[in-house]
Amino acid sequence: MAFINYVIHILNLTGIFGILTISLNLSVGFTGLLNLGHVGFFGIGAYTTALLALNGVPLILSLLIGSVVSFISGIILGLPTLRLKSDYLALATLGFSFILSSLAKNWIGLTRGALGLPGIPRLIHDNTLFLWIVFGILIVVYLLVFLITRSRFGKVCEAIRDDELAAKILGKNTFLHKILILGISAFFAGLAGGLFASYLSFVDPSIFGLGDLILIFSALIIGGLASVKGSFLGIIILMTIPEPLRFIGFPIYLIGPAREIIFGIILLLILIHKPRGIFGRADIS
Amino acid sequence: MSLLLQLLLNGLIAGSIYSLVSSGFSLIYQVNKFMNFAHGSVLALSAYLFYSLSSMTEFALFFLPIIPIISGFIGLGLNRSIYRSLRKGKSTSGVLLIASIALMILLNALIQSIWGAAVRIIQVKNPIFEILSLRITLVQICIIVFSISIFFILYFLMKKTKLGKAMRAVSDNKEVAQTIGINSEKIYDYIFFICSAIVGAGGVLIGIEQNLSPQMGIALVIKGFTGAVIGGLSSIQGAIAGSFILGILENLGILWLPSGYKDAISFIILFLFLLIKPSGLFGKKMREA
Repeated sequence: MAFINYVIHILNLTGIFGILTISLNLSVGFTGLLNLGHVGFFGIGAYTTALLALNGVPLILSLLIGSVVSFISGIILGLPTLRLKSDYLALATLGFSFILSSLAKNWIGLTRGALGLPGIPRLIHDNTLFLWIVFGILIVVYLLVFLITRSRFGKVCEAIRDDELAAKILGKNTFLHKILILGISAFFAGLAGGLFASYLSFVDPSIFGLGDLILIFSALIIGGLASVKGSFLGIIILMTIPEPLRFIGFPIYLIGPAREIIFGIILLLILIHKPRGIFGRADIS
Repeated sequence: MSLLLQLLLNGLIAGSIYSLVSSGFSLIYQVNKFMNFAHGSVLALSAYLFYSLSSMTEFALFFLPIIPIISGFIGLGLNRSIYRSLRKGKSTSGVLLIASIALMILLNALIQSIWGAAVRIIQVKNPIFEILSLRITLVQICIIVFSISIFFILYFLMKKTKLGKAMRAVSDNKEVAQTIGINSEKIYDYIFFICSAIVGAGGVLIGIEQNLSPQMGIALVIKGFTGAVIGGLSSIQGAIAGSFILGILENLGILWLPSGYKDAISFIILFLFLLIKPSGLFGKKMREA
């Protein structure tokens, strides 16, 4: 029984990180933006949802506001950086998630610092039912992202990734497309963050950690850029690989770093030997 | 008044520390054309190596000149084993950047699993001097002197030596440099060795001065690239000067904000520079996208 419960727990996390990976694909895969701040948006969604829900705002509404706040932060972050070479976006987004972590640790009055925020209401108490909700949302996000990428808007985004100058010459406002897609990507990341906070009914500054960043990046690249089903498959693979460590008596305190080492090695091997991943349709810009 | 002077001095010290990272970060960016986020992790690894070696023997300082050589070879190894294979596969700078992120997180986790997450302290005597009511430690003086000498050494290397000329040639145009007989892979090896040795020596000094934690490398690489953007990523001297500016601004900011917000100050400065002057104060004018 305990094993089944554990599997359901992992499936819940897989669903939530699946949403996060699919949303990362929107900015990195479909539009070619080197967005390293995705855990930042994830954390913004989690903290906003947590703070609102703890102060009496209905949970569904808190989730929605959390996603919108995340959307806005994506727009603000994109404003100075999306006009520049893409490395600068990488710089700014990495700095962004780092700074959020430092704010969450130091703004004790709001976030209780390293103690974190416990007692966040759950969407539903039972883990199995929670899993159904998570997967329901995952499917909706999957379809939405699929529709976005098939739309005229999504096609322009792919054109920007492949040749921004050509898209500009064709009269497309590439800056607007890039900033909107970063916002939408952040929106879904914020939604995933809110779900995560509600699922654990706890959030602390470690949500901005690099462990999740390497997890979703490896999942994205293993599955392949610009492929929604690739991201889905990628996160399932990566969430499964480190799990045996728990059952062979690997020391608990080493599991966190061990996961990061495994993901790092996988990512490096993929980049060297099969940079397009399984279903990838594009190269990293 | 003495508070202001002390903050300025602290800013100068912080700036020297950041410049040890930003100089190599910007040199690798100029010649190899990608942002090497793993640069700070080489620093952390060197600091931890020094910690282990120095706790084994009485003569810790004996290892002082050895660590930079080891760090240089670590950097060289990373370049040969990972970045070179990526270049062979015609990877773009974005791929190299993501690989460097993967390396950064991997090395960080490696340090944490070898030495643990707890803070470590290197037991080396570090006397404090008081000059005109300003406090500074011996190691802090070493850091400042070292960072200023790096400024001049790198200037001399890049402008006056044959190797520096070859580096600049590869930086300007790799293909043309190759046709006139410069082996760009060899140049990349040199760059990685030199930059990693500098950051390794920095790691030892910073490790003695501050405590060791696995995250130190990531924290410092973020300060390093912020300093480099302020001064201009396309110029080593600019990157070093930018680091000093960052250190001083951060420390003066404490006059108005609690010290926990130091990181936030530096991010706002980074953000403002990207918005208003992305080429930095001393960098060459940059083309848009």
